[in-house]
Amino acid sequence: MNLSELLIELLLMPLVAFVIGLGMVLMMRKIAARLGRRIGPPLLQPIYDIIKLYGKRTQISHGLIHEIGIIMAVGGYVAAETLLPVPGMNGLADKGGVITLAYVMMIPSLGMALGVGQCANPNGSIGISRALTAMLAYDIPFILVIFGAAYVYGTTNLADIIAIQQQQGVSGWGLMQMPLLALAGMLALPAVMGKQPFEIYIAPAEIATGPMVEMSGKFMGGLFVMQCFQLYTAGVLYTTLFLGGGAYWITFLPKIYAVVAIPMAAAMLFPRYRTEDVIRLMWKWPVLVGLMGLAVAMK
Amino acid sequence: MSKLDNIPVRHQPTEAAGRKRTNPLAHVFDELVKFCQSRSMFMLHYCTGCGAIELPPAMTSRFDMERLGIQPMVTPRQADILLITGYVSIKTLKRIILTYEQMQSPKYVIGICSCTVNGGMYWQSYATAKVLKDYLPVDVYIAGCMPRPEAVISGMRELMSDIKSGRAQNWKRYYENYDHYLGNQQKLFGEDWQTPTDIIAEARHYGLMTDRTLGEHTALLEKHQRPLEALEMRLSAREKQKT
Repeated sequence: MNLSELLIELLLMPLVAFVIGLGMVLMMRKIAARLGRRIGPPLLQPIYDIIKLYGKRTQISHGLIHEIGIIMAVGGYVAAETLLPVPGMNGLADKGGVITLAYVMMIPSLGMALGVGQCANPNGSIGISRALTAMLAYDIPFILVIFGAAYVYGTTNLADIIAIQQQQGVSGWGLMQMPLLALAGMLALPAVMGKQPFEIYIAPAEIATGPMVEMSGKFMGGLFVMQCFQLYTAGVLYTTLFLGGGAYWITFLPKIYAVVAIPMAAAMLFPRYRTEDVIRLMWKWPVLVGLMGLAVAMK
Repeated sequence: MSKLDNIPVRHQPTEAAGRKRTNPLAHVFDELVKFCQSRSMFMLHYCTGCGAIELPPAMTSRFDMERLGIQPMVTPRQADILLITGYVSIKTLKRIILTYEQMQSPKYVIGICSCTVNGGMYWQSYATAKVLKDYLPVDVYIAGCMPRPEAVISGMRELMSDIKSGRAQNWKRYYENYDHYLGNQQKLFGEDWQTPTDIIAEARHYGLMTDRTLGEHTALLEKHQRPLEALEMRLSAREKQKT
């Protein structure tokens, strides 16, 4: 692959991720609305929100770190998108691999912690401490699942993982080969996406949206953009590891949307877990199932 | 009168004074932003009055405000609309003004129920601020005691069409006529009333200073104004007694 092709891919991959992510945000809000027997927002609502937030006249910055924090939050995911292979584009997936991806996926939370710290709002500090604790909770099963998948496939290269699964058809999918690890991944997925019932760190009525409490205008817009990337990354990573990736967009898109929709539809029905309960739950069930899956895989 | 330049026009303060807009697409962007502003309204509801009871049905399955792009937000930083539902006592009015000044422009105020229009059934009360628009610029009033959710949504739609057409510019009035609003606030809260937000500096920043921004009341404010101090950090009341 020559340099110009690579550059075009590096530009296109985050853009594609953003557009698909907008769809996922819309889908998530629609699911929440339908479960409440509402109609839900119109088709372009996520775009309206983002343009409006960037178009605000007042943009209150709390200092340089506040701004850098948001750039880290968005930039971490932009970097993650270039490491995730999608149909027709591999980007840096050959060079990066799943371990780099796991590292890069932590950057946004840390960036947000930096930015929120500068705001000096107590609600924000409480929120971000909860968010980082939740990260500690879901990272254990998350890493277990990634490790197990990499062990079974014998490689950490995501492009190779897709190729291995596609050679053997549906029976070669990670879901068929290691159902326990896939289940553990699915259990941890709502927490990775930071959505119900694991969104105690946002808790609007209690700590006024936690980390976002001082975010306004373009900063909030940046976080909305980050949310699109967050859903996309979780969906694509799971699809790549367990659902055979995708040779064509027409088979790939339904898979990633389903991966986001299934835990979302179930999770919206549950009330929030408290932070300590998130840890207890995450370290018990997904870890237990993941360890069993690992044992089966290693036999 | 043959030349366009000779026709007298009422002077209007330009957008963002001092900065000349050179982008040929600026007008298109403005229209786009205005449209998006009208289709995405985050509302902060200040629900101390009885009108708040009509908001849950407006937001949930029966009337579903989210299909118009209206959703609740919980901090003034993120909100576009300040929704004041019902009577405003003098104590709550202080909080409303603090909240309003922390919101990000462009911002809009909606007064729901008759109490915000003229005091409603509390017009005899000594503790109620009667006319909300004396203290804040109000964009839309939704009268009724209480207005039904249909009325609330129709008021919201009116605000949406105002934003889309660019008529909803009331947030600028607060800066342009700050002396008037501050005067009314001082009448209620006393001469030493001050808020953490520096409205005069903001007016200067937006280029919205007029001859009505400063006046006798802002002079009074400057006389009493104390600089903001960081809150004292301590864990409990007992700790202070020790020191």
